[in-house]
Amino acid sequence: MLVSSKWIQDYVKIPIALDELTDRLSMSGVNHEGTEAVGDDFAVDLEVTNNRPDWLGHIGVAREISVLLDEPLKFDDPQPKEDGPDVESLVKVRTECPDLCPRYTARVIQGVKVGPSPDWLVARLQAIGEPTINNVVDITNFVLLECGQPLHAFDLAKLAGPEIIVREANKGESFQAIDHKSYDLNAGMCVIADSNDPVAIGGVMGGEHSEVSETTTDVLIEAADFAPLSIRNTSRKLKLNSSSSYRFERTVDPQMIDWASRRACQLILEIAGGKLAKGMIDVGEPVGDRDPVELRYAQVPRVLGIDVAHDETRQILTKLGCHELDHNDACLRVLPPSWRRDLTREIDLIEEIARVHGYEKIPESTNVAMAVSIRSDADRTLELVRRIMTSQGFDEALTRSMVGDRDNALFSPWSDEEALATFTPMVKGESNIRRSIVPSLLNARRANEAIGNATSELFETACVFLSRPSQLPVEQRTLGVVSGRGYLELKGIVELLAIEAAPSVSLLVRPLDSTGLMAAGRACEILLNDKRLAVIGEVSATAAKQAKLRSATTVAELNLELLFEVAQPLRTHSALSPYPAIERDLNIVLDESVRWASLESIVRAAGGDCFEQLDYLDTYRDAKADGPNKKRLLFRVVFRSSDTTLTNEQADAFRDQIVDRIRAELDGRLLAS
Amino acid sequence: MALADFIDSLDTLVDDAKSVFGAAENEAALEEARVEFLGAKKGKLKAAQKGMGAVDKTERPAAGKRLNEVKGQLESLFESAKSRFGTEAAGADDTFDPTLPGASFRIGKLHPITQTIEELKDIMGRLGFSVAHGPEIEDERHNFEALNIPPEHPSRDPLDNFYLACAQQGQDGNEREQTGGALLMRSQTSTVQIRVMEKTPPPIRIISLGRVYRPDAVDATHYPMFHQMEGLLVDEGITMADLKSVLRMFASNYLGGDVEVRFRPSFFPFTEPSVEADYLWNGDWIEFGGAGMVDPNVFKAVGYDPEKVTGFAFGLGVERLCMRRHNITDIRNLYKNDVRFLHQF
Repeated sequence: MLVSSKWIQDYVKIPIALDELTDRLSMSGVNHEGTEAVGDDFAVDLEVTNNRPDWLGHIGVAREISVLLDEPLKFDDPQPKEDGPDVESLVKVRTECPDLCPRYTARVIQGVKVGPSPDWLVARLQAIGEPTINNVVDITNFVLLECGQPLHAFDLAKLAGPEIIVREANKGESFQAIDHKSYDLNAGMCVIADSNDPVAIGGVMGGEHSEVSETTTDVLIEAADFAPLSIRNTSRKLKLNSSSSYRFERTVDPQMIDWASRRACQLILEIAGGKLAKGMIDVGEPVGDRDPVELRYAQVPRVLGIDVAHDETRQILTKLGCHELDHNDACLRVLPPSWRRDLTREIDLIEEIARVHGYEKIPESTNVAMAVSIRSDADRTLELVRRIMTSQGFDEALTRSMVGDRDNALFSPWSDEEALATFTPMVKGESNIRRSIVPSLLNARRANEAIGNATSELFETACVFLSRPSQLPVEQRTLGVVSGRGYLELKGIVELLAIEAAPSVSLLVRPLDSTGLMAAGRACEILLNDKRLAVIGEVSATAAKQAKLRSATTVAELNLELLFEVAQPLRTHSALSPYPAIERDLNIVLDESVRWASLESIVRAAGGDCFEQLDYLDTYRDAKADGPNKKRLLFRVVFRSSDTTLTNEQADAFRDQIVDRIRAELDGRLLAS
Repeated sequence: MALADFIDSLDTLVDDAKSVFGAAENEAALEEARVEFLGAKKGKLKAAQKGMGAVDKTERPAAGKRLNEVKGQLESLFESAKSRFGTEAAGADDTFDPTLPGASFRIGKLHPITQTIEELKDIMGRLGFSVAHGPEIEDERHNFEALNIPPEHPSRDPLDNFYLACAQQGQDGNEREQTGGALLMRSQTSTVQIRVMEKTPPPIRIISLGRVYRPDAVDATHYPMFHQMEGLLVDEGITMADLKSVLRMFASNYLGGDVEVRFRPSFFPFTEPSVEADYLWNGDWIEFGGAGMVDPNVFKAVGYDPEKVTGFAFGLGVERLCMRRHNITDIRNLYKNDVRFLHQF
């Protein structure tokens, strides 16, 4: 909020430089955003936190300054002369919705002369960038900025009745505001109406029809209190923010309502003349008494870590406007001031004491006890995954957790449930909470292609969100990868991750049917304990075209949660055989349809006790020699015994076992060894 | 052929080589001579080796032994002849350019946000804080209510949060109860505090790090998704002086050197007193983040007795730390994933 330095000095003396003052204010919780010279005045921009609406007026800021600088705060109690008829005889006020408007007051001045504001008033408003309209409107605005209580002036002659009815808006009711725009009102909104129509949206904005103009002679001054939540909902729904709604949202000082009304009337009489009607219409609850708050002195060091002398504690609270009810050696009881609705508990008082006493007095070298900090195995495994990915030349990307409809439909390897969605999109068109990381990474790859980056090998570790009926969704930490490398290279990297994280697990590989994203017959899933650990595949030509990717792309996604479950961060040694290994290379003719995965499981099963390792070497085809639809798989089997050097004859026997099983189960034939 | 003949032929070979190597006038001539005698395909030694086939089988091992000796002799003759042309040129091959770039190996880079997070975890770990995780899709209880943020608080406005539009919530009372109110993408990592305290009795010393979501229009300093670190320490006898000490140790560790920390009063619903913490860096006060003593209402919401325990909490934006550290001026760069950008870190 902007305050004028000259205006502030109407209420408190500032014996120090403005820079020093704004520093002091910053250190007491009113953050200083900047200062700008305006003529012979300064406009000081202060950031006011939501808990301190009392700072939304010059008097409130002056009050803080008076506490900081120990200077007296002075402002009058206006007592405008009431020369007119009884106010009750001029207008009636009725409230139908005390929950939306707990208090409504009205005063009436007859015979005013509306015209331009005097120079001093114009200067005050202009210093902080407020427009000037006419003397009456400017005065209500001035009083709002002075004490934080919003006011509204109606042209009494324009109010049908004349009558004021405070009520909930009717659904579909339309309203022409002073900003010359029309608003469609709804239930839950509070309107000020005359006998016919709404004349103001209570606490938000007045109406065009009843605004004070050059022709106005009789004005009604409204000073009221409106329910914060309703005000906020109303101004949000109507996209209509005003300095009134801003203050009502944050609550106003109930004690200042009458003061503000009298202050405005006093100024109007002075500046615009007229006669003030006798009395004030006051509808609603009288201001209730505040509950006293108790402070146990011992709680101050318990929270702050420093003691503050009892006398100083009492002084601070008194200076802030608290009324001390009683005190003894152990505690004191105060009644907080009406403008501090945020002070209701002991801890609130402790904060005030800390703030005024000074946070700089809190030491910064206590001996905080040591504690054990534990790093989770999942965290270690995640780090391993990242390390492997970067070591293999992949850069880590960070992409948004929400995707558009097309990316959402592109790939969902973990769930067939619909994606969750948010009301508000994260960026335009992206309101699906993603079920897969790959589509986002494909976009990143495309962006890199577009800028001419030849290599974009990307991975990301993030949650994917899988909806479940009647429960919080599953958030599965997942690795996504996009690459320009070949399918087998990417598969090798995924396998490497699994083997490095959990060397003793066994993985099962199954070809995957086309997923829409992946090309037919060029994709697989890797299973771990019958659960899907990963999917890997080549992006199909159609999907690549749709994603506007120019270069061939492979993708993979891996369920990190599953990897964390089986990870073996702690490795143990097992005794190594001192005897040499012996290898046998096999060249087997098989049907084209036989998959390596089937062959591998047979070899492993038939390899015997001395089987150590199986390495795929190559695939050849020789239709002339082998006939159609045949292929030759060349691979190497390594044998080693833990208690003897294997002989050639033993190795041959092992090999023959394997060959026999392959012949029996896959109709494979050994070509040469 | 008898062994003796074979050996004779070898001896002749050695003599010939000695004179031819010795007569070579320059390196090129010597190289020709080397090929003549030691050439792998048509060299004289190779030719002589063929003669071994004619040697009687029983004498072949001896012949082989001699052949190897001769080979060694020829090689050392060649080496000594070559040394005449100076050591500098020895073995030099003009066609090889040792200044060519080495084979390139591409290693990937961790995202600067990850690097920052890992560093924060590392420092806080040394100060005894363990990492805790919580869901990114939260219910209102954990994102607001238990954090002392009442329904009328502006931060709960639907327009300021990513509320979920799923059919599962709000339809029947049971489901709502089970999930603790409407669901939203968490707007702060403070939610994890609540989840940890609900499950664990004090003392607590944790940090939580991760993605948070707020519907901000994208510009150089705003992004609708960003990262926060939240710290929480709850025990008997924890004070604001402990908070200041931990933050000072953290800042000194992160920035290097002894760093001064100051508090400015602020307001957060879940801490009381609430402060903004700044640190003094190169003569300027830099905003570090928000902090404060855990509000008694938060303790009540998780079933802790505020008369028994006190605690502090602090939170900071990871992007801001990362950007300041690496001189990144536009937050959008962090989420474009341009590999040229990623390779700068």
